[in-house]
Amino acid sequence: MAILVDRGTRALVQGITGKIGSFQTKLMIEYGTNVVAGVTPGKGGQTIYGIPVFDSVRQAVKGTKPDVSICFVPGPYACDAAMEAIDAGLRLEVVLAEAVPLSDAVEMVAFASDRKAFILGPDTAGIISPGRAKLGVHPHRLFSEGRIGIVSRSGALSYETAKVLTENGLGESTVVGVGGGPVWGFTHSDALKMFRDDRDTDAVVLLGEIGGHIEEEAAEYLNSGFPKPVIALVVGRAAPPGQRMGHAGAIIQQGKGSAQDKIATLKRAGAIIAHSPREISSIVRKELK
Amino acid sequence: MRLYEFQAKRIFQEYGIKIPNGRVAKSINEIAQVSNLIKRPLVLKAQVLAGGRGLAGGVIFVQQSDDVLKLGSQLMDRAIGTEKPAAVLVEEKLSVIKELYAGVTWDYQHNCAVLIGSSRGGVDIETVAQEHPEDVVKQIVDPFVGFSGYQARTMAAMIGLQSDQLMQYANALRSLWRIFQQHDAELVEANPLSILQSTDMVALDAKVVLDDKSLFRQSALLARIEQLPQQSSVGFEYRRSRAKELGIPTYIEMPDGNMAIIADGAGSGMLTLDLVMDLGGKTRVYCEMGGEITPDLMEKTMMVSLSLEGLRVLLINLIGGLNRMDEMAIGITNYLSKNPPKIPIVVRISGTKQEEGRKILAASRVEFFDDLNQAVEKAVKSTRGN
Repeated sequence: MAILVDRGTRALVQGITGKIGSFQTKLMIEYGTNVVAGVTPGKGGQTIYGIPVFDSVRQAVKGTKPDVSICFVPGPYACDAAMEAIDAGLRLEVVLAEAVPLSDAVEMVAFASDRKAFILGPDTAGIISPGRAKLGVHPHRLFSEGRIGIVSRSGALSYETAKVLTENGLGESTVVGVGGGPVWGFTHSDALKMFRDDRDTDAVVLLGEIGGHIEEEAAEYLNSGFPKPVIALVVGRAAPPGQRMGHAGAIIQQGKGSAQDKIATLKRAGAIIAHSPREISSIVRKELK
Repeated sequence: MRLYEFQAKRIFQEYGIKIPNGRVAKSINEIAQVSNLIKRPLVLKAQVLAGGRGLAGGVIFVQQSDDVLKLGSQLMDRAIGTEKPAAVLVEEKLSVIKELYAGVTWDYQHNCAVLIGSSRGGVDIETVAQEHPEDVVKQIVDPFVGFSGYQARTMAAMIGLQSDQLMQYANALRSLWRIFQQHDAELVEANPLSILQSTDMVALDAKVVLDDKSLFRQSALLARIEQLPQQSSVGFEYRRSRAKELGIPTYIEMPDGNMAIIADGAGSGMLTLDLVMDLGGKTRVYCEMGGEITPDLMEKTMMVSLSLEGLRVLLINLIGGLNRMDEMAIGITNYLSKNPPKIPIVVRISGTKQEEGRKILAASRVEFFDDLNQAVEKAVKSTRGN
């Protein structure tokens, strides 16, 4: 298995004919992802890399039966696209757009949870289950098949960590990017719940950042006991307070959300703390001996 | 995007919230003119975007006998933090019986908006929530229903209001909610929302922060509210706004450092700063370029980060998924061919199209690393003058 996406996953690409959408779709197909359809309103009837393009998600669902979608639609239109896919019955919507209005992000997340579906993101790099499928923009050569689950706010930090694990002969079961915040449709604790039951995952790496509440929420979940080692790295120890550190959600406000606090909270909850990807890799080795 | 107080008050007024009689003045002459139109005593309020205005002397009172021009010119010249006032808001000073709080913001834990009310106004609501949690009431908003009248009245009753005051407060809450919702705000706050001797409820201060990612659909509002001429900010704020104009989303300076750091991801950038700190290195300036970076933006980011004095090394950490390393490499070599480096440049480059990118760097004899720790070690070492 692996979580969220696997070989059997049937993927839809929203915004498949755009510059980035088409380039990244090509990379996903090369990696082995089963992309069954694309949607670009007004371009229905075309094909791209042999994949049929539809005007609406409903038409795509009828013709090709996708179960998840990755959305390359720009921020101002991302909410509409995400709701369209969820309304058509898809269980998971990966929203890459960074510039999503806050109220739209809240709306799409509420819409999805009301229909028992997930939004991954917004502002996420997506998901990759190495050797099986990729629903994202990861530089996949840095990843390898293995038994470590990773959940990260930052895409780039998950690439960095996977790269070091791979170089040390460890690979990943699934790598999930939850997005830059401050609104998250899927969080670290959601991923932990899935990794807990995943037979292909032996340990979980939790990559956090300053700001927001999802590391604390994960710690609360871990407090009730977790059967696999959890190794946590929280970046932003050197970040000055009151500054947005690249992600909308990565900011220490009124003394809240510092890396030091999050590290202490995760440590109390039983996570093993690392300060760099290198340290993660040596801890994982030791834990899985 | 934070609005000035006078802009926020204009919006409050449009939505039926009472504000003090006042005028905005952009010069000493205008202060002289408008202060004749308003009954004394007056209050002069520096229009700045920074917080902590009151403590920094940005609000002064003018009694009958005071020289308004002298006090006004002092206020215009006083910097609040690094910010000179863009204008002065001249208002009548009102006699207040009680100060309340009313505001709307996002509750990211519940993924919805939250209305906040308190019988303790005029101070930071976070402080009230810590010191007197029993005096703060909250109502989270169902995104599919909105904020209803009965919820507003319940909140008013819960902070101890009755009869006419209860209704006035409930109406103010509803107005704040409408502003929040219709203008895509991050925060709308009346603090204090004051009860006057006349029993009127008036917003003595107004704060509106709009969501930057929603500004594209607020053009009507932005056109309607009076804008102020761009202030010539100084130092860090100036350099940050210049970086933003060039398309660099994150520009941060730290005192006492001597390293410039550029990253192409938020998390990998913060990791770089942490690793530099762990090795005893000191960052002076940090730029993060976001996703979908062009060679041009890479080049500009190098220019901006190298324009500070006293730097001893530039460390560039690139690990791209969406960003293509061939394009990053073109940006780096373009910059270096036009600006021969005066300090060492340490590049770490991995990710999408990394082979192509590394070839481009190698052809221009730019040294690069595959491993982040090695790159950080090299960069920190080179600040120690070898």
